[in-house]
Amino acid sequence: MISLLLAFAVGSLFACGAYMIMRRGQIKLILGLGLLSHGVNLLLFGSGRLAEGRPPIFLDKDSYAETIAWSLPADPLPQALILTAIVISFGITAFVIVLVNRRHTITATDYVHGEFVPLLKEGDPFDFSEPSEIDQYDWLAYEVDEVYDSDEPLSGMPPRPPSEHDESAAMEEDNYQWP
Amino acid sequence: MPELYLRLLNRILTPVLLLLAIYLLLRGHNLPGGGFIAGLMAAAAFQLQILSRGHDRVRSAIGPYLNSGIGLGLAVAICAGVVGLFEGTFFKGLWFKLNLPLLGYLELGTPVIFDLGVFLVVVSVATSFLLGLSRVSESAVIIGEGSVSPDLTDDPAFDPMETAGETSREVES
Amino acid sequence: MAVSANLLAAPVAAPLLIAALILLLARWGGRRLIRHQIALTALALCFNFAVALLIFQATAGQGERLVLQMGAWSAPYGITVYGDGLSATLLLLTALVALAVYPFAVATIDYHRARMGFHPLYLFLLMGVNGAFLSGDLFNLYVFFEVLLMASFVLLTIGAQPAQTNSGIRYVVLNLLASTVFLVAAGIAYGTLGTLNMAQIAERLPLASPAVRTLFAGLLLVGFGSKAAIFPLFFWLPASYHTPPPAVTALFGGLLTKVGVYTLFRSFTLFFPELLISWQPTLLTIAGATMLVGALGALAQPGIRRVLSFHIISHVGFMLMGLAVALSGNKLAIGFGLGAAVLYLCHHMIIKTALIMAGGAVELHMGSDRLASIGGLVTRHPFLAFLFFMAAISLAGVPPFSGFVSKLSLLQITLDTRHWLVSGVSIFASLLTMLNMMRLWRESFWGDYKRPSRVPTRILQSSLRQRLMLTPIAVLVLLSLGLGILGGPAFRLSMRVAQQALDRQAYIDAVSPAATFSTKPPSHFVPTTATVPTFLTENAADLARSPFVPSP
Repeated sequence: MISLLLAFAVGSLFACGAYMIMRRGQIKLILGLGLLSHGVNLLLFGSGRLAEGRPPIFLDKDSYAETIAWSLPADPLPQALILTAIVISFGITAFVIVLVNRRHTITATDYVHGEFVPLLKEGDPFDFSEPSEIDQYDWLAYEVDEVYDSDEPLSGMPPRPPSEHDESAAMEEDNYQWP
Repeated sequence: MPELYLRLLNRILTPVLLLLAIYLLLRGHNLPGGGFIAGLMAAAAFQLQILSRGHDRVRSAIGPYLNSGIGLGLAVAICAGVVGLFEGTFFKGLWFKLNLPLLGYLELGTPVIFDLGVFLVVVSVATSFLLGLSRVSESAVIIGEGSVSPDLTDDPAFDPMETAGETSREVES
Repeated sequence: MAVSANLLAAPVAAPLLIAALILLLARWGGRRLIRHQIALTALALCFNFAVALLIFQATAGQGERLVLQMGAWSAPYGITVYGDGLSATLLLLTALVALAVYPFAVATIDYHRARMGFHPLYLFLLMGVNGAFLSGDLFNLYVFFEVLLMASFVLLTIGAQPAQTNSGIRYVVLNLLASTVFLVAAGIAYGTLGTLNMAQIAERLPLASPAVRTLFAGLLLVGFGSKAAIFPLFFWLPASYHTPPPAVTALFGGLLTKVGVYTLFRSFTLFFPELLISWQPTLLTIAGATMLVGALGALAQPGIRRVLSFHIISHVGFMLMGLAVALSGNKLAIGFGLGAAVLYLCHHMIIKTALIMAGGAVELHMGSDRLASIGGLVTRHPFLAFLFFMAAISLAGVPPFSGFVSKLSLLQITLDTRHWLVSGVSIFASLLTMLNMMRLWRESFWGDYKRPSRVPTRILQSSLRQRLMLTPIAVLVLLSLGLGILGGPAFRLSMRVAQQALDRQAYIDAVSPAATFSTKPPSHFVPTTATVPTFLTENAADLARSPFVPSP
């Protein structure tokens, strides 16, 4: 019975996660990824035997044999796996949040896809139309500065996108803010 | 300025949290606990500081040491593995006992050193992430009020090294 | 020379340790500190290359299998690190690619990105890739996958240009879904077989029910296949590979999809070799579709790096074709198909990296990689044009280069096993590759010199920078030439690697000295009637049918 419940929980978490990922908002995307990782964690939890009232860790070495005879211990390995999976999904969620936030500050929109966001053309593999003005902000606008130890300013620098200017000036003066 | 009770709570809770972190760190090698949990606990103490004193003060106090903390933790963890080579296998645990007067025996070994490395990495990563998020939320508030400040929006609240630290921690746990 | 198994820890530990030192010492400021970072990273890369050579010499050269049980915990309980010929070959090529791309990266990565931690991230990526190749444990493989993915996420988006963040989100989400599928496979393996050790899974899997086997194989095919960018799952690759700096694209193109290909090779030959026979039509269909879609997609692309990233997909199709006929032999040996696939993998990793670096050099000189707006570079940079041409015809498979040998051996085994359709498709895809390479060369090097007007002059006149960019490309092209000229010895070596990888029982014996494994599966494990893999007998029949084998 409890296994059936677990199976339903895993299935519905996967379904909700897949649905959320396929929606347009980026926050929903993050939530969907979280739901999916929870689904996997539950599945890993179910891959050990489901047992009630059996601790995986015994403190008392002397009574270990008796305890084993009384009931088998729970399998601690799935819990270790879940812990690792949680840590990994924590890190990735953190990264995705920061990425989405960065993208939000650039494009000022929450939508993952849509024709009214011209920036998105750049990432579309099947878009062969002519480059728009926004392509100036492609990575090629970055500076290839001279060899690292020369401190003199470069001539013929490309006009940098305004968003980067202040920050790099701050870095040159070495008063860059810590995270 | 934060609330009075938060500042008061901070004074009481921060030492307790840090002590609890050290306790969890030291008992972790064969009891529930360990470097990861202890690191999160210590990061919770730092988050309390951020909430009660503001992120600027915390950043100016510990910000420059966070990246070094990640590196130090990783190096310590790897070195704990290298020590095992003296017994023939990488990451083999070596133990020795210290006799402390009045307190009894203290078992020390390479797993404890490894846990210490994990602790350092987790504290540094989690704190730098919390600091970054506090800055993000502040800039979001300013955007919401309609006075977009170029300094804040252009500032990359995006430090890739935070996530590099995440990468390394996954190996250890 | 006997090599200690502890050496297997070095490709993971050394880059991590050096990256940690860089993090520890660098307080992210000052150009001098970045020079120290570069020196430390180069040291780690050289050390990694030396270690990879040692491991390769011991495993592929002398036929050993190195097994390191972490912390001296024996096999099913501890984490197993396993190195044989296949892993060592990929380890060596990874070290080579990382070492070759690094001078290019030093020359072209700007101060901003270097300061944001490009160099330690390079080492983290190398560590993740090495760990994935050496892992002998399914969950450990997952962890290393995540490590290399995380490093690649940050390398892809470092600098945070709008195009990079857009492509970064797609890349992150699709790769996370693939990792999720793989993790589900690992959970199912633990739930049904009671183990995560790959040798023990291989031992118990023939006893499991066919449903479990099929499910496990399907999940692994989807998970690893989408890392390897096979046909219906490749969309993350062309969406993202053209956005980061060219050095990062060269590194990704050389390493990332190959991890997926390696895990496909490893899991199919170790876990379910019988599926290589019964799923052969499916695998060949996927391979053909991958080749065709990659080559046709490349034909439609407007920029150099987009063309090259579609060609990565096309070439993964060739490797998958080699995997599908992996167990088939011809008159030379059983396992000829896998040997050809391994040789193709080597050729691809070397020449694709060189080509993407050459394309990146064009892009940096011209300020754009859109073929419509550039041209005539041969008058200004004849050596670069020469290198690009050599790399391009090697990729297309023109004789003195390695592309010819590897494609010829793959084609030979496919024709021997009478898969006419897929061999026809592969010939067609090769022709399309040739066409594409000629198109790239003609559009970017031939004709009148022109460059997009709105992009200002690039600052790449420093001769040191030029040499740093061109030398690794030249070295890789020479390697490809050498691999082509010494085709016979190279193929014999890759045959030996393939046969070592196909020997399942030796893998199981190497990881578990019989005493440590209890063959008794867990209590909830319901064995069905044991099905003996019949691939060898079928293979013999296949062999007898082959028109190339003289009938007895």
